[in-house]
Amino acid sequence: MAKKNFSNSYIFIYSAALVVVAALILTVVSVSLKPAQEKNQRAETKQMILKTIGVESTRDNADQLYAQNIQEADLKGEPYFTFKGGVIIPLRGTGLWGPIWGYLAFDDGGTVVGSIFDHKGETPGLGGEIATDKFAQRFVGKKMCKEPIHLKKNADKDNPYEVDAISGGTMTSNGVTAMLAAAYEKYSDVIPCHDPALMMEDKKQ
Amino acid sequence: MKNTDLIKLPFSKNNPILVQVLGVCSCLAVTAQLKPAVVMAISVTVVVALANVIVSLLRNTIPPRIRIIVQLVVVSTLVVLVDQVLKAYMYDVSKQLSVFVGLIITNCIVMGRLEAFAMVQKPWPSLLDGIGNGLGYSVILIALGFLRELFGSGTLWGYPVMEKLGLYGIGYENNGLMIMPPMALILVGLIIWAHRSKNKDLIEQ
Repeated sequence: MAKKNFSNSYIFIYSAALVVVAALILTVVSVSLKPAQEKNQRAETKQMILKTIGVESTRDNADQLYAQNIQEADLKGEPYFTFKGGVIIPLRGTGLWGPIWGYLAFDDGGTVVGSIFDHKGETPGLGGEIATDKFAQRFVGKKMCKEPIHLKKNADKDNPYEVDAISGGTMTSNGVTAMLAAAYEKYSDVIPCHDPALMMEDKKQ
Repeated sequence: MKNTDLIKLPFSKNNPILVQVLGVCSCLAVTAQLKPAVVMAISVTVVVALANVIVSLLRNTIPPRIRIIVQLVVVSTLVVLVDQVLKAYMYDVSKQLSVFVGLIITNCIVMGRLEAFAMVQKPWPSLLDGIGNGLGYSVILIALGFLRELFGSGTLWGYPVMEKLGLYGIGYENNGLMIMPPMALILVGLIIWAHRSKNKDLIEQ
């Protein structure tokens, strides 16, 4: 291919110039695009929270709908959210390849009315399925009254603490279970718990 | 070689996956569903074409001893650039791509075409070669994504085909192996077999 001989100093100067140019391009692009990217991320968080209570929003009207529907609150420094008729708790955890997060909305009776999950880099089609509506739907009707919800293979549909895990996504599912347990630990004081049957049981104990 | 051949050949006689056997790794990872397969196909085509042109323009200045490093810098810069722009202006697409953006850098087709073609050819044929190979890769990727999502999850682009056809009612079940990477390898093998029995001149003695 190359018939020319390149001197050592040429090679040094060439590679130095190349990386400096590449670094310069990337820095300029990164700095100039940062405001737009951060705006997208903030809007997305608001959209996720709104979705748990069934409010569909676009990136443009998320700010407005969020202000109308959601109030921010905190429990000993840990942020959570309230809406008319319940609370929303944030979830933070780790999946197989990186961070996973989500929000879980409870009505005043302590029943999950909506949930949403997202991830940084779980395997698409396997663990990445936690970001789908189909997965989020599995949480509706569940409770976190006495113990956290956990993911399980072939979960019992009538058990309010069990949710079907993802086939092929065991490591991510375990991550979700751990994330729910951590959130229960933190937020059990604000998660409503008014199930008559469960309260009776509590009294007996 | 004629310019039209540069676009046409990668589709059959010189397909990057079937004949050059490049890019198989990403082809196993991203084809569990149709949508990521299509997104990956488009991104790889864009990156191969652009990287081919840039390296072809630089080809006479690149010292052969550090050519792989130079190619890598060009490809990574392009990929990070694309990623940043997507995050700022096409946030939803960027979410779809997530992990695949990083995978493009390691895609053997990109490095393979740079080494084999762009280093010794003029920019225009290099561009055509990049587009041709990108499209040849795309065809296989989309075929695999189609088969694996249809038979593995019973959906296409997220639409529940099998459910709408009422096949679950008569005892049909999804093939769990289809969504696992080994099945992608088996499918690629089958496609290569079919392809070689049609093109006998490709069979090694």
